[in-house]
Amino acid sequence: MNASVRLSMSSLRAHKRRFAGTFLAVFLGVAFLAGTLVMGDTLRANFDTMFGDATSGTDAVVRSADAITTPGESQGVRQPVSTALVKTVERVPGVAAAAPSIQGAGQLVGANGKAVGGKGPPTLAGNWITDPQLNPYRLAEGRTPARSGEVVVNRGAADKGHLKIGDTTTLRTPDPVKVTIVGLATFGGEDGMAQVTYTGMTQADAEKYLTARPGEAATISVRAGPGISQRQLVDRLTPVLPKGVEAITGQQSAQENTDMISSQFLTIFTTFLLVFSGIALLVATFSIHNTFAIVIAQRTRENALLRALGASRRQITAATVVEASVVAATASAAGLAGGIGIAAGLQGLFPAIGFPFPEGDLVIRALSMALPLAVGIVVCLGSALMPAVRAGRTAPLAALRETAVDQSGASRVRAVTGLALAALALGTTLTGILVSPSLLLAGVGAVLALVAFVVLGPVASSTAVRVLGSPLDRLRGVTGGLARRNALRSPRRTAATASALMIGVAVVSLFTVFGASLKATMDQTVSRSFAGDVAVSTPSFGAGGSGLSPQLAGAIGKLPEVDTAVGLGRGVAEVDGKGRALTVTDPTALARTFDLGTVQGSLRNLGTDGIAITRTEADRQHLTTGSTAQLAFTDGEKKTFTVRAVYGRSELAGDYVITRAAWSPHRTQDSDTLVAVSFKQGVDATAGKAAVEQIAAHYGNPQVQTRHEYAQSSAGGIDMMLTLVYALLALAVLIALLGIANTLTLAIHERTRELGLLRAVGQTRSQLRAMVRWESVLVAAFGTVGGLALGAFLGWVLVKASDGASDSAFAIPPVQLVVVALVGLAAGALAGLRPARRAARLDVLRAIATD
Amino acid sequence: MTTATTTRTAARVVDAVKVYGVGDTAVRALDGVSVDFPAGRFTAIMGPSGSGKSTLMHCAAGLDTLSSGTAHIGDTELGTLDDRRLTLLRRERVGFVFQAFNLIPTLTVAENITLPLDLSGARGDQEWIDELIGIVGLRDRLHHRPSELSGGQQQRVAVARAFAGRPEVVFADEPTGNLDSRSGGEVLGLLRSAVRQTDRTVVMVTHDPVAAAHADEVVFLADGRLVDRMESPTAEKVLDRLKAFEDVRS
Repeated sequence: MNASVRLSMSSLRAHKRRFAGTFLAVFLGVAFLAGTLVMGDTLRANFDTMFGDATSGTDAVVRSADAITTPGESQGVRQPVSTALVKTVERVPGVAAAAPSIQGAGQLVGANGKAVGGKGPPTLAGNWITDPQLNPYRLAEGRTPARSGEVVVNRGAADKGHLKIGDTTTLRTPDPVKVTIVGLATFGGEDGMAQVTYTGMTQADAEKYLTARPGEAATISVRAGPGISQRQLVDRLTPVLPKGVEAITGQQSAQENTDMISSQFLTIFTTFLLVFSGIALLVATFSIHNTFAIVIAQRTRENALLRALGASRRQITAATVVEASVVAATASAAGLAGGIGIAAGLQGLFPAIGFPFPEGDLVIRALSMALPLAVGIVVCLGSALMPAVRAGRTAPLAALRETAVDQSGASRVRAVTGLALAALALGTTLTGILVSPSLLLAGVGAVLALVAFVVLGPVASSTAVRVLGSPLDRLRGVTGGLARRNALRSPRRTAATASALMIGVAVVSLFTVFGASLKATMDQTVSRSFAGDVAVSTPSFGAGGSGLSPQLAGAIGKLPEVDTAVGLGRGVAEVDGKGRALTVTDPTALARTFDLGTVQGSLRNLGTDGIAITRTEADRQHLTTGSTAQLAFTDGEKKTFTVRAVYGRSELAGDYVITRAAWSPHRTQDSDTLVAVSFKQGVDATAGKAAVEQIAAHYGNPQVQTRHEYAQSSAGGIDMMLTLVYALLALAVLIALLGIANTLTLAIHERTRELGLLRAVGQTRSQLRAMVRWESVLVAAFGTVGGLALGAFLGWVLVKASDGASDSAFAIPPVQLVVVALVGLAAGALAGLRPARRAARLDVLRAIATD
Repeated sequence: MTTATTTRTAARVVDAVKVYGVGDTAVRALDGVSVDFPAGRFTAIMGPSGSGKSTLMHCAAGLDTLSSGTAHIGDTELGTLDDRRLTLLRRERVGFVFQAFNLIPTLTVAENITLPLDLSGARGDQEWIDELIGIVGLRDRLHHRPSELSGGQQQRVAVARAFAGRPEVVFADEPTGNLDSRSGGEVLGLLRSAVRQTDRTVVMVTHDPVAAAHADEVVFLADGRLVDRMESPTAEKVLDRLKAFEDVRS
């Protein structure tokens, strides 16, 4: 063993506790990262297995070849196929069975009158396929639906809605249908396909409620006879299918389903988690760097002695690097084990919170182990590198010097560099937002701002701590004053400790500000463009929910209180070669309940060949009133529409508006997403709302909201996202706190003599504890304030950069940010607890002993 | 005058025994020492290394506890006090001067001097503190940090701090150990004049006969036992006495 290695080993043995914080920081970061990767792989593999199992009896799927995908949607819309094709398919040699599969949206109403699901995952309804091998769902209890009104639901959905066999409830298709549950089903051995709810009806019911016309099905599932492979089956089917209809193998269909879940849910989910483990590791970097920097500073005398005795710079540096490597390797290895533990824990936890996690072994790929291990080691070594080089530079004479107060952080060079960086960051960001809008420029500016904050930290820390701590002298007397000065002692160290928390707090405030701004934007949108009195909608987002019955708008319109009730439906078509969402409505009524801005032309007479377009879309495609545009529908039909109106505001009305008459030949399941209602003059708002609610109760009881309520609930998903983000950021904040605690513990070790003296001349233990705690709170306060400022700035950048500047509102939520600040301070007090206790336990005599 | 001062004791220990460690490795640092430190006097504790002189001072000052026997400051028996009371007693009734690391680096000279008073939240006697600052001669350095002072100046600040709260007794542990002879002389002169001019009590541990010569009385310790006392010491007399121990031991 060479000298450097021997030195670092003995140092590690002697100072195990000093590295506990570093170890924990690396461990947590790596564990989170590895856990995320393992869980992602496991979920993906298990969904594969689940789909494979569920659809193993299906050898081929017949469906429309073309799908139209609109932006922001991963799954395209396909035209249904005719059920008459079943007969054709059955006649093909080698086909054992074929069944139409009708799919639509159908949301169950639970025993408590509230809709089941709809918060993201789809709420599906379809025909119960009688051939058990072709049906991905298996009957687990009860019987299959035999008569109209009888349904089978997946067990997960039944449990969630507290429904059982024999119960009668409502299925929103979106027209309310009274159904009786006669059976419960499972999917691939689980209570459901993740959170997706499924209701299986008789084929006649399904055709009646879920398709635009009877005799249509989404797909046809085909089972092969013995000795026929899936490939052979597809090859035999293809020639008999009409144009625009294709056959794919069952395997491919299962794969597409898995990919759909992967891209819609898993990828987003894991990417999200990976981003947060990245943040956690970034925060960890600061903590680790600080620990090594302090340990090196404390070892100055020892290193100087070694240098005086003839150790080379390289040997000293190497000793520190080896030390860091050992910590990195052990912590990362432990982190891998922890990550597997996290994944296993989540696998157990998910079913407990009602999320059927497909069963199966954990999938541990080499990459999911190698990557976190590498990241952990790189982070740890990278953080230790600078301190190690500094250790090597120790002058042999340093052994004889006494260093009391370190002023290194506040150098002029640093201040100038930091300010230059800050100016550059501001310039880049402003250019990216205001001058030539570019997300890239704004992003570069944001990153520069972060760097500027970190560089300026030590310069700012002196002033900031002095200002933040100024009430302490008055409040806590000499104890507070000492705390403040201790926090001022080493600006660089204080800044590095605070930086970790600063980043955590910055990300929290960034999301808080972004969320509040999104809400403000929605509020602004609704109040600006919604001119009606109440809005009727179903509380759902994502792919869930089934929308509103198209009859609802008409029924509400008949009320004596109501002036106009207009339903907005959704259609898709390809315009200019790209999938676009169409708003299907009564354009005349639309103009009365929505503020569409300046309208060129008229929405009055669109007819079946007229279309209204927003100003932005019209400009982009160089269209004006009178020009024509070609729309291609899912059924393959291409139709030329004349632009009859160009309107200014698109927030609620969408970019393209066509009439119901124009859409109906191409429609699938019919539903509205929103019914906007305006009352007659002199009608009391409360009375009007009550009247509308009464009608709505007959149509599956959707939500009736005033303009203000509607604006609020449009932002409902944002709060849920924020909650999740906060939960994930707790890890980063925890690591930052570990950093503060660790730095304090090391600082206390460094100040043993001083603390001993204070105790000797009469500082009580509680005064000593208070002093350490206040120092911790001050450091946390500095980090929190910096984080709030940085987070607000980044939030502003994100808001302005993510949406063409003009339409989005920027809002700073004062209450939430005060809460964030308080949490930061409380966290500081918490982090100081243990070091304070340890400092108070100090033996006075040992502390003041001259050597 | 002599009767008045000798009858009142500022601090004393009775049958003090201090054992470090247990079993075979046990060391008796104090082996039944009884000694009193009269008020208004400057007493030096001397003895070779390992004689237990520092331990005696620590126990008498309430920094350490005795294995058996009692220690008193004035009429208060230290063994009956919990940590908090002991801390308050040190703060209000005892002053300290150590060999090194005597000042808080983040505080100014003035703040270091009033530290014990500030810790107790007391205003302190401003006139007295002002007089002290005059005696130690640091009026022009009050707003400096310890790192900007010489070793001798730092120790003078420590002396001022030790007397700031008008303690009943000031304990000094090798106060001149880190100083050159001129600075050391100044510090000892200060301690001596504090005792003479302001009727304070000082107990000083030292191994330097020259330092001990500044005291009114020297107490000699060897192997944890009190072996001798000497009134009005001079450096030569102390050195001779120490030599005698060496001869006895060898």
